[in-house]
Amino acid sequence: MSSTLDRPALGEERGFWGAAMAVLRKDLLAEWHTRERLSTMVFFVLLTLLVFNFSFELGGAALHQIGPGVLWSAFVFASLFGLHHTFAAEQENNCLDALLAAPVSRGAVYLGKMAGNLLFLLVVELLALPFFALFFNLSLEAYLLPLLGVFALGAGCLSAVGTLFAALCSNLRLRELLLPLLLLPMVAPVIISCVGTTAMIFQERNPEEYFPYLRILGVYWVLFSALSLILFDHVVEE
Amino acid sequence: MNPDEVLCLEQVEKDFGNFTALAQVNLRVSRGTFVLLLGANGAGKSTLLRLLAGLSKPTRGRVLVAGAEPNYTPAARSAVGLLSHSTLLYDDLSARENLRFTARLYGLAAPEKRIDQALDAAGLGERQHHRVRTFSRGMKQRLALARATLHRPSLLLFDEPYTGLDQRASAALSQQLIQLKERGSTSVLVTHNLEEAVHLADRLVILRRGRVGYDAPWSGGSTAELGSLYEQHLG
Repeated sequence: MSSTLDRPALGEERGFWGAAMAVLRKDLLAEWHTRERLSTMVFFVLLTLLVFNFSFELGGAALHQIGPGVLWSAFVFASLFGLHHTFAAEQENNCLDALLAAPVSRGAVYLGKMAGNLLFLLVVELLALPFFALFFNLSLEAYLLPLLGVFALGAGCLSAVGTLFAALCSNLRLRELLLPLLLLPMVAPVIISCVGTTAMIFQERNPEEYFPYLRILGVYWVLFSALSLILFDHVVEE
Repeated sequence: MNPDEVLCLEQVEKDFGNFTALAQVNLRVSRGTFVLLLGANGAGKSTLLRLLAGLSKPTRGRVLVAGAEPNYTPAARSAVGLLSHSTLLYDDLSARENLRFTARLYGLAAPEKRIDQALDAAGLGERQHHRVRTFSRGMKQRLALARATLHRPSLLLFDEPYTGLDQRASAALSQQLIQLKERGSTSVLVTHNLEEAVHLADRLVILRRGRVGYDAPWSGGSTAELGSLYEQHLG
């Protein structure tokens, strides 16, 4: 057992980025062991695409009419599954107490959690893309680069706000209901911008036409990441 | 704050809405003291421990741990080790992975060596790569204590650590707490298990409806004597 006398009373504070990385690595390791979060998200996205495939004629003009909406509906609801998991493991044995009692900035905890959500959502988006192309008879080469840009920005915005709201709802009894109720109105501008941009990419419009949407997404991501960093401490405080 | 003091509470009050959980709590604890904190359910014991761990802010007054306010100063939180009735462990990680995560959060130097020592001391060397989910309650609590002491804190906080432990595991935990005490740790123990606590404490604090109702050194005695004193001051 460790002696308590061979060390000064105050330790050194863990660096902000080091602490965020520690939280991220822990979440990724837990996911590697269980594969609960990612498998649920991927399964949900594929199931949604499959249901739409059976419900509509997805080829041809449907790509422009409903394709972007189908894609982003699947991503947004899959992200909700992921966000529910964000603090579930921390609640299980009151691990959140141990995390908040550690000598790290609470902003770093938020950043680590947000980075995890971002990574999971990006992986889901990338795995879903080939299936989307298959169902819509779509050749991806022409669209791939701009689509990846929108996916990254959309996932960033959803993770930034979603992580904060997941923390807010983690102690509530009706969290499964309240998280989408609180989050979806907040991310409405993100969804509108992502669907709009994706539609324009499929219509092979000039990139200058959808740059304003990308700018909105970029500003939203930066703004809400900064706000969430500041607010996270108050949210996790009892 | 006296340099020999590890923790100091000055006129601390904590409100939850209209409910006052703690009122005018003053407490100074010197290095190496083992404080037994008793009180009925709802007396404010856990609230007090949360303030000391930096998990909550006082509504009024000041909490100092090793000279700094734990809620506002991350570095002050590194002086605290917390063990509670919940294990504070990730069930989906192995014993070693749990300790490695703690070592990273606390920025420990030579973490693997410390983790090896902690696992050996907890008697979990052979199960270090097994997931915590597969451990018995006693093994989990031994690992939880290893996690709480890995960074060698100046102040140890125990919130009902005997909950769910059988007689043998309780005795083993007490033995570990005695070893920590002998090595000079400062501890605050909240428990209803007077049989185990009676051998550990050298100061007794009884909370009554959020106020300190009794605070005096405990020079040892039987469980019956401790129980009688507790009943007298329970109110």
